[in-house]
Amino acid sequence: MNAPTGLDFASISERVQSEVQRAIQRSIKGVEYFSSSGPSLGSTPKDILAVRGTMNLYHYRPIADEIYRVPILIVMATTNRGYILDMVPGQSFIEFLLKRGYDVYMLDWTAPKPEEKSLRMEDYVLDFIPDCIRRVQQDSGEKDVSIIGYCFGGVLSLLYGSIFHDGPMKNLICFTTPIDFREMKLFSNFSDRRYFDVDRLIDTTGNMPPELILQSFEMLRPGSRVASQVQLWDNIWNDEYVKAYRMMDRWGTDTLPLAGEYFRAITKDLMWDNKLYNDTMTVGGREAKLANIKVPILHAVAEHDHIVPYDAAKHLIVKIGSSDKEEVVLKGGHVSVVAGANAIKRLWPKLDSWLGKRST
Amino acid sequence: MADKGNDPAVIWQTMIGEMEKGFNSFANQAMASPEFSRAMNQVGGATAGAQKQLGELMEKYLLAMNLPSRAQMVGMAERIQAIEGQLNEIKVLLQQVHHNSLAPESGSGTPRPPRTKRPPSEGEQK
Repeated sequence: MNAPTGLDFASISERVQSEVQRAIQRSIKGVEYFSSSGPSLGSTPKDILAVRGTMNLYHYRPIADEIYRVPILIVMATTNRGYILDMVPGQSFIEFLLKRGYDVYMLDWTAPKPEEKSLRMEDYVLDFIPDCIRRVQQDSGEKDVSIIGYCFGGVLSLLYGSIFHDGPMKNLICFTTPIDFREMKLFSNFSDRRYFDVDRLIDTTGNMPPELILQSFEMLRPGSRVASQVQLWDNIWNDEYVKAYRMMDRWGTDTLPLAGEYFRAITKDLMWDNKLYNDTMTVGGREAKLANIKVPILHAVAEHDHIVPYDAAKHLIVKIGSSDKEEVVLKGGHVSVVAGANAIKRLWPKLDSWLGKRST
Repeated sequence: MADKGNDPAVIWQTMIGEMEKGFNSFANQAMASPEFSRAMNQVGGATAGAQKQLGELMEKYLLAMNLPSRAQMVGMAERIQAIEGQLNEIKVLLQQVHHNSLAPESGSGTPRPPRTKRPPSEGEQK
C-alpha cells in the first residue's frame, strides 16, 4: 500500500511525542480533576437587599467612577441559578456591565421549600417582580428601571411589563425568550395533555422535582452528555478547557425545583393553551397582552438554540407594542449566547451599545 | 505539519461529533412521537409516586434510628444561609453607621458613584 499523500515521518514522530505527553498529562490532570473542587463562581462583590423565601434580590457593588442614571434589574430563569451570568472574572456578564458603568441588581431564585408549593404565577409576576422593582427604586433613588430577562425570566418580565405597562420599566431586554410554546416541539410532546397528568404529578410531589426538569432538558440532546465526557477526557490536559467545562457542567446540573402551582400554570396556560402567543394570557385576572408593552425592547436569540428554537422566540418582536424594537440573532446555543467566550465577543458589546444610549 | 485529514486525533474528534449529532437527531425523531410521550409519562408518573413513597418510608426509618433526614439537613443548611444573609445585612448596616459617624454631612448610605455617565459616541465604541 502506498503512504497517503502529505504524510511526513518527522511530523508523525512529533505527533506521537505530543500524544504521549498528553496521555501522561491526562493521567495526572485526571486525578487532579476528581480530587479538586471546581472554580469559585458568582464571586462579584454584592449585597443582599432582600430575601423572601425563593426570592433573592442582590445589588452588585458599582466599580466604575460614574454610572448610568437608569439601574438594571436582571430577572433570572426560575429553573436555574443566576451565577451563569457571573462566572469567573473576565467571563462574567455582571462584571462586564459594572465595568461599562451600569448599576446592576439581580432577582435570583433559590429552591422553593415544600411549603412554598402553593406559589402561583401571580406571586412571581404581581408580587416578587414589583417588590424587587420597588426596592431597586428605593435603593438607587431612581424612578426608571431597565429589565433584563433570561429565558423564562424573559417570560416573567414580559408578563410583568404587559400588566404594569405604564409602570417604571424603561427598557426591556430579553435573552432567548419563548413566546410560541408549540414550537418547543419536544417539550410540547413530553407534556402532551393526553398523556401528561400534571395534576397527579404535582398533587403527588408538591414541587416539580429538579431531577425531572434536568432529565427533560438532557433528553433534548441525549447523546451530548456522553460525548461531552469523551471530549473532556480528550482535553483534560488543557486547563482552560477543563475550567470552562466545570463551570458550565456545574451550572447545567444545578437545576432548581419549581413551585408546584407555578409549574401547573406554566403547563396548562403556556404549554397546553399557548396563551401568551394567542393573546389570551391573564395573571391573577389581569390581561397580559404583549401588545401592551410600549418600551424599547431588544430580543437576543441564538441561532443554534435547542431549548428555545428560533421559531418559538421569533414572535416576540412581531407581537410587542413597542415602536423601538430590535431582534438580534447571534451564533451560539441557549447558554453560550449569554455566557462564555462567544457571548463576550457578540452579545455583551451589542447589549452595551443598545442599552447605554437608553440609560441616561 | 501533517495533513489534518490524516491526523488521528482530528478524525477521532470528528467521529465523536458526528456520532453525537446522529444519535441526537435519531433520538429526537423517536421522542417526537405520541407513543413516546405516552410511554414516558406512564413510567414517569409511576416513578414519581414510588419515589415519594420511598422518601416517606426512609424518613420514618431515619426518625426511628434517631438520625436527621436529608430534608432536615437541607432545612438546617438553608437556615444557616438565612443567618448568613442576616449577618451580611447587619454588616452592611454597621458599615453605613460607621461611615455616617465619620462623615455625618455626606448623607446616608454607602457612597455611590454619580449617575452622570453618558454613552460613548459612535466613534469611541469598540
